Amino acid sequence: MTVEALSAAEGGTDAVASAPPSGARQVWRRLRGQRAALAGGAVIALFVLVAVAAPLLAAIEGQDTTSYHAGLVDSASGGVPLGTFGGVSGSHWLGVEPGTGRDLFARLVYGSRISLIVAFGATVLQVLLGVLLGLAAGLGNRFLDGLLSRITDVFVTMPALIFAIALLAVVPDGFPRPVLLMLVLGLLAWGGIAKIVRAQVLTLKSLDYVAASRLGGSGPWRTARRELLPALVAPVVTYAAILLPSNIVSEAGLSFLGIGVTPPTPSWGQMLSSASTWYQADSAYVLLPAVLLFVTVLAFTVFADGVRTALDPRVASRLRVGTGRRKQAKADAGSSGTVSPEAVASGKVSPDVAEPETASRKAVTGE
Amino acid sequence: MRHLSFTSRRIGVIAVGLALAGGAVACGPKSGDDAKSGSDGKPKQGGTLYVLNNQAQEDFDPARLYTSGGGNVPSLVYRTLTTRNRADGAAGSKVVPDLATTTGEPSKDATVWTYHLKDGLKYEDGSPITTADIKYDIERSFAPELSGGAPYLRDWLEGAADYQGPYKDPKGLSAIETPDAKTIVFHLNKPEGEFPLLATQTSFAPVPKAKDTGTKYAAHPVSSGPYKVISNENNGEHIVLKRNPNWSAATDDQRKAYPDTIDVQSGLDQAVINQRLSAGVGKDADAVTTDTNLGPAELAKVTGDKNLAKRVGTGHFGYTDYIAFNPKVKPFDNIKVREAIAYAVNRTTVINAQGGSSLNEPATTFLPAQASFGYTPYDPFPAGKTGDPAKAKELLKEAGYPNGLTVSLTHDVTKGDEQGPEVATAVQEALKAAGITVKLDGQEHAAFSDKIHTLKTEPGFFLTGWGADWPSGGPFLGPIFDGRQIVDNGANFNNAQLDDASVNSEIDAINKITDLKAAAVRWGALDKKIGEQALTVPLWHPVYKRLFGKNIKNVVISDWTGVLDISQVAVK
Repeated sequence: MTVEALSAAEGGTDAVASAPPSGARQVWRRLRGQRAALAGGAVIALFVLVAVAAPLLAAIEGQDTTSYHAGLVDSASGGVPLGTFGGVSGSHWLGVEPGTGRDLFARLVYGSRISLIVAFGATVLQVLLGVLLGLAAGLGNRFLDGLLSRITDVFVTMPALIFAIALLAVVPDGFPRPVLLMLVLGLLAWGGIAKIVRAQVLTLKSLDYVAASRLGGSGPWRTARRELLPALVAPVVTYAAILLPSNIVSEAGLSFLGIGVTPPTPSWGQMLSSASTWYQADSAYVLLPAVLLFVTVLAFTVFADGVRTALDPRVASRLRVGTGRRKQAKADAGSSGTVSPEAVASGKVSPDVAEPETASRKAVTGE
Repeated sequence: MRHLSFTSRRIGVIAVGLALAGGAVACGPKSGDDAKSGSDGKPKQGGTLYVLNNQAQEDFDPARLYTSGGGNVPSLVYRTLTTRNRADGAAGSKVVPDLATTTGEPSKDATVWTYHLKDGLKYEDGSPITTADIKYDIERSFAPELSGGAPYLRDWLEGAADYQGPYKDPKGLSAIETPDAKTIVFHLNKPEGEFPLLATQTSFAPVPKAKDTGTKYAAHPVSSGPYKVISNENNGEHIVLKRNPNWSAATDDQRKAYPDTIDVQSGLDQAVINQRLSAGVGKDADAVTTDTNLGPAELAKVTGDKNLAKRVGTGHFGYTDYIAFNPKVKPFDNIKVREAIAYAVNRTTVINAQGGSSLNEPATTFLPAQASFGYTPYDPFPAGKTGDPAKAKELLKEAGYPNGLTVSLTHDVTKGDEQGPEVATAVQEALKAAGITVKLDGQEHAAFSDKIHTLKTEPGFFLTGWGADWPSGGPFLGPIFDGRQIVDNGANFNNAQLDDASVNSEIDAINKITDLKAAAVRWGALDKKIGEQALTVPLWHPVYKRLFGKNIKNVVISDWTGVLDISQVAVK
């Protein structure tokens, strides 16, 4: 949709001639071209599968997350697991936890559930809030815009981690912890997405087709629904894909600090925290959650970058350059810039379009 | 980042004063039988000993320090009427004379205690030490400006309950008489056979009135011990001590004082201390720590390295970690439920969660496993090393819970803490086998302490621990089981809120005994009698393992403190 809309906005006959059959399919085609993104996607799919099948996997191994195995650790040496690589054996595929002898494979696969559920839930919440408030600010009058923008600024500048720690400390223990983590992360970190949506809305508002819709008598919400939301899909999806790994890291960080899920529920951050002193005595225990976290976050980030590229209209135009569909553009084929000079000259690319990208880059480096 | 401190367990010097942590080197270390000197040859005088610590030696004023046996660093500067015996193991839990000629001459009913000073005692400036100066320091310890010391004297001395210290009330305490410069007499309001053990605390050190500078005294105290304070930065963070030429070994058979200089650096991360001691580079070869234990992971590394293992001192401080019940909360009013939990607990997994069998010894008695406390082995609910869930189920059935029950266990969320989540989870898992579902109620460190020591909020089932101010049954059982020590407003340690006339009267009777050995036997019998009521489930007694530097000689670790004694250590 987005690409169509933007192509339509560009208005050239060439663009119409080369218009893709459907937006989603085109995005998929572009994604398919990026091996790194595909690999990232495959890793994500695998982790989701593991998380969903955690009980099954643990059952196949024949272990659970909470049973203690006092016989598998050397009590006199501080509880270090007996055997190599942290006590790896046929019945404990990834070894056992020092001190308790709990099965690490079962704890890791169950731990992935917490990481993914919390991260997905928080991201959905952030996107919902961000889009809603961004739209309201972009479409509202000056007062509403000012108010919402300042509130957004406050949330963007607020040290979310510190605030999350404070919030998590005061909520009573009875409240289900994963839901709480989801809410806290979701309610605190929606500022970035709201800013991007507002900026996009302001740009789109001045475009002809939106103006036409409004002149045609549509109210602001109808315009938002029919004309703006479809155009917002690209930046929002891109930003959400970047938020997700950062939410995984936040959950792990909070669990690391001891205010995430309560024991004995396993979570990667919590395991990493317990493991941090064991790096010399039982390095396998530290490496497992650390590597898993690293791979997951890397996979999501690479995939997010792929999605961003696939949705980026300027990349789209460059691709067309590459395939020689626009004769005029041939001259630019050698240039490394993503924006063709004539596109800028003709005002087809508004400076605002660059915002999602720079904003998201900031978000990545800033986290 | 408190959770990081679990690399090495902090010495749990809970004792009566939770305040200990900062002020006291109180619980010193002691040396185990296997911990001998790091290098060969006889210890010689000279050199500089470095002490690497986590907790600062705050408020270095003898009136403010809350110590056990006079403390470790404080005892280098302040001599007291009596002191702990500087010897390895059980011999080290004896009380011996220091400034005084004896450990005290009691009146018949142990309410009047008389001490005479040795001859030739001098301060660092060469002036003589008198009993009036000891009386003066005790009076100072009552001054609100100099808070922090142990509360015993206010409770024990006749007519001292409302005394406000010598600055507001220069008349002084009438309960302490000094008929001449070498004699001091204490009049108590009740029999206290353990008075000689109290007289080891630094409030019994001499402070010359003419040199008293009030709250500033801590910076430059007048030394009566083998070392004098050269500098004291940031309220005890860095203290440098040098030999006091006016101290004479002839009047002090306890302190060896081998090094010429002792440099105490605090505020270090516990992992850093252990790393530096194990590497032993440069000055760190001449270093020890008095407050940082080896953690489980560090122990795993050390046991695999022969050279390091030689440099580990093992000590036993009298301490018990246990599950406490509040019988005012259902279902713990039912003794069968409490017994069921006592049977179901698996001490092996609990101990493994807390660092394994080298750092903890399983406990079935409330008193620590040392003769000086009156240790009498007993196990009213024998369940073996791993618990007896079948027996527990049986008891639950008798209690009216044939289908098991759900309870809430309150614990500290601090990782690696003795009352931390690892231990709570191990208890939870063990009780699951007996059909008891345990919900974990984790509380932040300070909130946890407040909650369990406040009568109104005290939960029914929680983890806690207890150590005593001196190695005897009195300060161990009294605050926990004496009905008259239930505190309505403020910190209450009688968790079970037990107020049993027979227990109270036995405590009074034992306090009259001045023969500490005879008293110990009675304390042991009382412990056994209380143990049968299943008001607590003793879990383990901690063992302290601490590294010392390559050049360290003459490591002495008494059962009184559990840490190596700085006054005995040599670096040459």
